[in-house]
This record gives sequence, structure tokens and C-alpha cells, in this order.
Amino acid sequence: MGIEIAYENLFMGQAFAYEDLLMKVDSYIKSHSRKTPQRIALEEGKKSISYSCLEEDINAIAFSLIDFKHCRFGILSESSIHYIKALMAIYRSENIAVPLPIEFPKFSLERILDTADINNMIATETQYLRFGKNFFERFGTVLILSNDILVKVLHRKVKAERNNPYLRLVLYTSGTTGFPKGVMLSDRNLIANAESIIDVIGINSNDKAALVIPPHHAFGNSIIDSHLIAGGAIKIGSMNFVDSVFGLVESGVTIFYGVPSTYRILLRYPERFRKAFCNVRLAASAGGGMDALALKHLHELNPRMGILPMYGQTEATARLAYLPQEDVFRFPDTIGKAIPGVVLDVFGEDNSPVGSNSPGELVARGENIMLGYLGDEAASQKKVIDGWMHTGDLAQRLPNGYFRLLGRKDELLKIGDHRINPREIEKLIENNNEVSRVFVVPVFHELLGNAISLMVIPVDGTRQDTLLAFCRKNLPGYVYPVEILFIEDLPLTENGKISNLSILEEYRNAKSSM
Amino acid sequence: MEQIMAEILDYLKENSFIDKETILSSRDSLTQKGIIDSIGLLELIDHICESYSIEIPEDMLTPENFDSLQGITDLILKLKK
Repeated sequence: MGIEIAYENLFMGQAFAYEDLLMKVDSYIKSHSRKTPQRIALEEGKKSISYSCLEEDINAIAFSLIDFKHCRFGILSESSIHYIKALMAIYRSENIAVPLPIEFPKFSLERILDTADINNMIATETQYLRFGKNFFERFGTVLILSNDILVKVLHRKVKAERNNPYLRLVLYTSGTTGFPKGVMLSDRNLIANAESIIDVIGINSNDKAALVIPPHHAFGNSIIDSHLIAGGAIKIGSMNFVDSVFGLVESGVTIFYGVPSTYRILLRYPERFRKAFCNVRLAASAGGGMDALALKHLHELNPRMGILPMYGQTEATARLAYLPQEDVFRFPDTIGKAIPGVVLDVFGEDNSPVGSNSPGELVARGENIMLGYLGDEAASQKKVIDGWMHTGDLAQRLPNGYFRLLGRKDELLKIGDHRINPREIEKLIENNNEVSRVFVVPVFHELLGNAISLMVIPVDGTRQDTLLAFCRKNLPGYVYPVEILFIEDLPLTENGKISNLSILEEYRNAKSSM
Repeated sequence: MEQIMAEILDYLKENSFIDKETILSSRDSLTQKGIIDSIGLLELIDHICESYSIEIPEDMLTPENFDSLQGITDLILKLKK
């Protein structure tokens, strides 16, 4: 309590200055801690924490950050209660959170730390031990969160920063091969999108959400925001151990969230699924289209459970569209319609609407559209034009107003719930290995939907095991190639135009001649 | 037992996201060290079922059994009987 009073006094002056920025996500936690102090906010394994205790811990961590004025703080944390405390404490102290995608290879993390110029870091003890003392030397400020001592300041050096005045959160997207893009989001972005999601799903304070996907990506972050704003509970786990996931769901989860691969994994165990999901009222998905078979399977295993496929992008904070539950089986090949507060349209090459049925690029506007990419004005201007965010997805509007996706405008591939740029991966491998050319081929994968194979035009020194070792070290696990084919030549390279489609065609030829 | 552990380690070196520098002891957490994720784990399970001709019931897919080389080895020995 003492800390909270001291903290509020210290921030009185600033609270006025930021009045025009309206509410922040953490403000809702403060409000719930007063109205429903005993209500459980977060659960993790056998641990749980009420709104009043969460509020107290957020203030205690924020207290260590009070000398910083709108500075960027990296978060290095596994999915945990600590992660959410760190995130909310950064919001509370009017600083900027930069959660790091810990599943990325160290190489990509280093790139993010460099490009985002991170001077301050909050890490959990687990990540501190994993990355080691030396890794943390570079940061002026390092705070460690652990179960024993809530927050321990290892070192601390306040350095002034210039940031977009509305910036609150930076989420990293794609960039698996070293060109990560930091999506800059404001308080307004976060709250607008969370409110739309609460509306669409009908989240209330009695709901308990399952958070088994990473919290530092847009989907996971939206689960945290929407359920804490609604005053409900979040059960935190991971997808690593199937039995643990089913156990987590059985602990009273009412809304389950997953990417398509999450559901594919769980549906491998139908009887266990039926038992665990019998009291779940809604299974929501995002991060890729659900296949018809999985949808049918879900419905068979719990006919009372609603199924809600959603569509979105990090650049739109998280969600853009949803397929209403009643239409899941009528229009399974569509992304449905825009969420409240968002307008979707399909534009032609001239950036104007093409009308029903005609193909074009899906564009979106709304209060959830990002401020821009961190440190990349050129890319920001290409992504958001006259207030319309260009999704890069080709789509058509059906006569009933729903949208159907037709593929990507660019060459990005979807592997699990990750977007990767095959041309970047090819370049990375070519520039660092003894090869002539490398081509990334999207191939079917039972769980991820897609995986990649490599077609390689070798030179004298090319060795398959060296290439595999390079991939293992420099690419995330989900991009690790399932096979490497050596080919003599790729005729299509002669006109210089490489596309996923032409590579795929060549791959089929190569396979059939083997 | 050592042979099984060595075989699993070989599999992980071939198929998972493991650094050359990573020193792995038999009790280290595979998930916390970032060596394996949920998809990798399922592939490992398929591999184990096939190579040792065993079936692993889903209630055994727990951290105790699958988060370390020791756990995996013990499980295989138990199920092979």
C-alpha cells in the first residue's frame, strides 16, 4: 500500500500531462482491483493471482521504472504471470514495451536489439539463466523478475530517448531471417482492438481464457488485453506438453484460443479432447485459415461449443475480421466480415475499390491500425496509404459482404502461424554458404500446414550436412528444411523472375524425375 | 539406457533447433533451453513410437516424461517392458 501511495504521488504530475492519451490497458486492472479485488486475474500451473495482488505487483515493478520517461523496455520472458506483470508495469510507468520473441534464434534477437536500440531490459530469472550474464552486460538497465524477489535491479542507467509520443508497445512480426519489423502500437490501438474482440466474442468477467500461444505476438497479446479489460481470468500455459494443455482446459477454461496448428495437435487425441473440452463454450482461432476437416472434427467432439475463426495482422494490433459462429459451416472458405470499428474493402492497382466479386488487395481502416514500423518510415508509408492499411492479401468481396482470401500479393509463406519471406531465407543461405543458388519450396506439413524444402544448385564445396547445420543455427525450428534437393539448373531463372508458383512447378518436375 | 539417451540426443541434433555450443545434460529442460517446441515434440514422439515400437498414451505426454533426456529415456524403458 505504501508503495502505491508513493507511486501515485510521484505520478500525479505526469497523469495530468497524459490526460489526453485516455485509458491504458493497465488502467482497467486498477479499476477491477477496486471493484473486484478478490477475483482471480491470472493463473499459471498451481499459482494464481487476484486483481488486487496483481495491481500491487504492477505498482511495485513500475516503482523501479519511475525515473524513465517514455523509454523502450525489452521484455525477455517465457509465457508466464511474470510476463504480464512486466508488460503492465511498463504501461503503468508510461514507458514503452518491446516484448522479444524468445523462440527466434539468437541471431534474430540480436538484430532486433540493435535495430530497436534497446537500452533497458526486464527479464525473468529463467531467461537470465538461459542467456547468461554476458548477454545482459550491453544494457544500461536490467531488471530481473523471480518468484523469490518480485523485482531485482541488476544495473540501472537512465538514458533519455525520443519516441513517437503515442507509442506504447512494439510487437515484432516476420523477420525470421534477420529483417524483423517492429509494429508500433498506441494505447488507443490496443484498447480499440480489445473492445472489438470483447464485443465479437462476448467476453465477460466470468470467462476464463486459455493462453497457450506465445504472449509476445499479436494473437497472444490480444487475449491478454481483451480478458483483462473485461475483468475475467486468464490461464497461462504453453503448447509443449499435450497432457498439460488438456489439464489446463479442464481447470474451468471457457474460451480456448489457438492457431490452426494448435487445433491440429490437440485433435490427434480426439477422446481426450472430447473430455477436456466438454465445458468450453468457444474455440476461437486466428493466424491462418482452419481447414474444413478440423472444423467438422471440433464440432463433432463438442456440438455445444461455438467455433469462431478470426483473421488479422499484427499491423492491425491483432484482429480485422471474424466469421460469425452461425456461418462457420456455410462459408468456411471466407474470413467473414470486419469486426466492429473496422472497415474492410478490396482495392485495385489504382488504390480505389473494385466492387463485389472482383479480386484485388484487402485493405482496412480503423482505430486499431498501427502507428507505423519502428525506425522504418519508408515501409510504414507503403503499408498504410491514406489511412488504409494494405494487408498484402489478395481477396474478393462476396455478394453477402463476406471476404474470401485468394492468396498473397507478395511472396510471403505461412508456416504454422508465422509469416516468412522465402526470398530472404534464400539470400541468407546463399550469402553464407558455398552454393550457387537456393530456392525455398513450400511443402505440405501435417501439423504446420506448410513446411519448407530447399532446392539447391550446388558448387564443388556444397555439402548437405553443412547446409542443414547452418539452417539449424540460423533459422527458427519451423523453417528447418524437411529435405534438401540438389538440382542442376532451374530453367525459369533465365528470365530472372522467381515466384513461389514457378519454384513449386520446378520442384514437382525435380521430384518426378527422381 | 545410455544407448537410448545417445540415440535421442542424436535425433535432437539432427532434427531440432539445437546449437552446436549447447551443452546438454540429462536433466536439462528441453523446452526452457529452446531446443524443442510443441511441433518438434510431436515429431520426436512419432520418432520414438516408430523406432522403439511402443505406443505412448496421451496422459503420458507430460513435462516429467518429455522435458529432459532422462525423462524420455526412462519413459522408453518403462514402455518397452
